[in-house]
Amino acid sequence: MNKYNPDRMNPSSLRSRFTTRFLRNLSKIHAQKPSSSSSPAEIFRRYRRIKVAADKSMAYSVRSRRTWSRAMLWKLRTRPCSTSIRKTRHEKQNKNRTTTATTGEDRVGFGVEADELRELVPGGEAMDLCNLLHETAHYIKCLTTQVQVMKKIADFYSP
Amino acid sequence: MESNAGTTETRSNLTASDGGEVTAFESLQFTDKIHRLILAPTTDNASSFTALLELPPPQAVELLHSPDSPKLIAASPPNVEVFEGSFRFPSNTGLIERDARFSVFSGEANNSNEKRNSPESKNVIANLEKNVKTEPAETESSQPTVEKRSIKRKNRENKVKGSTKKSKTAANESSEDAEKLPYVHVRARRGQATDSHSLAERARREKINARMKLLQELVPGCNKISGTALVLDEIINHVQSLQRQVEFLSMKLAAVNPRIDFNLDSVFTSESGGSLMDSNFPSLVMPAMWPEVQGNGHTQQYQHQWHLDALQQPVWGREEVCNNYITPENSLLTYDSSANSATLQANQLKMEL
Repeated sequence: MNKYNPDRMNPSSLRSRFTTRFLRNLSKIHAQKPSSSSSPAEIFRRYRRIKVAADKSMAYSVRSRRTWSRAMLWKLRTRPCSTSIRKTRHEKQNKNRTTTATTGEDRVGFGVEADELRELVPGGEAMDLCNLLHETAHYIKCLTTQVQVMKKIADFYSP
Repeated sequence: MESNAGTTETRSNLTASDGGEVTAFESLQFTDKIHRLILAPTTDNASSFTALLELPPPQAVELLHSPDSPKLIAASPPNVEVFEGSFRFPSNTGLIERDARFSVFSGEANNSNEKRNSPESKNVIANLEKNVKTEPAETESSQPTVEKRSIKRKNRENKVKGSTKKSKTAANESSEDAEKLPYVHVRARRGQATDSHSLAERARREKINARMKLLQELVPGCNKISGTALVLDEIINHVQSLQRQVEFLSMKLAAVNPRIDFNLDSVFTSESGGSLMDSNFPSLVMPAMWPEVQGNGHTQQYQHQWHLDALQQPVWGREEVCNNYITPENSLLTYDSSANSATLQANQLKMEL
């Protein structure tokens, strides 16, 4: 039999893991609200939740193997419930990392762009340039997967 | 010790292959070079043999000549600049003699071998003159200093010479480490500084450049751009555009009014073995209006991965069929059948994905 589904080739690939999780979360979100409402506020709320769900599913698919996914998971966890304990502990860790991360040599030649990249990539503030580039590569790969899957879902459910 | 034995064996094999005919002319050449070596730089940093031997130059030359001259003459000085990282001092005189002989025979043709031989042949001479038992202590103590001086000479020669010989500059660090730790072989190119800081920086820069190359391949349209700042700008733009696309798509998904009730939780669990799938089976078997769908779908395929390996051709056909069925469902059908259709549509979606 021909296998047209690329996710079937590697069921544990990033794409299939993300798809599974995301569809699950999406169905949850759609099940929560009444299907008739289509007010902008309602849609906006849903949009936020879907966005969060997308990021969360991606971060969970990557687990803690990458710095950016760890940072994103931490951000997602502490955002709704702002417990001071967790924040201060993690902030201390972040500060320690930032002081040791950037040396003078790394900044030369890449100053402005590297800072911009650090803002974009979650958890990028506490990384030196070398690791930042590594994380960026993986982050780009995951983002493209995310975009492809979501595009296919959106195309499927719209006429 | 063992590594040196290994290298000496290889070298002995090479001697056999090279053919060892030492002409008198060659030996004369080497003695001339030795003379130059000994007499010229004694004034500045005394890094020559004489420092090793602790003898005035002419006596050193005599010592050189006393035993079999071809054996003891070290490799020519111009190629002295290179050191192998790890030094093992052979206490076996037979091996030492073999080394020395090979260093003479290889001449200048074989740089890599000479690189290995030159430091050892220097120590060879020292070893042979002193007592073999006392040599390890003395040579190891003198070896770091010798290396450092010869490294200085090597640096000068590097900058002065027009040749393109590359030198292993890890010897700087290795001389202190003394063959204990593994280290990174970094080749210092001609004219570059060789202290440990710049070495580390160079290694980092090469790492960063390698990663930038990977990123360039990932980001479309980055290959043509030259210059790291522009490439970084392009990468930043790409990341921003991807993030914006995610936001846009999530907005779109929020706006999509799902005409079917999403009940995909139970179906989309590939990790939970067969139990949940079994609970789905009756609901999937029930509806009579989807006979063709149930043909191959619902058996063990659900159990492992719930991406169906159903065929694609019926999928396309089914899609149209399903679309026709959707709208009446919303109004007419009950929850059960809507759930079934939702699951079946989810199956198709999975297949597409």
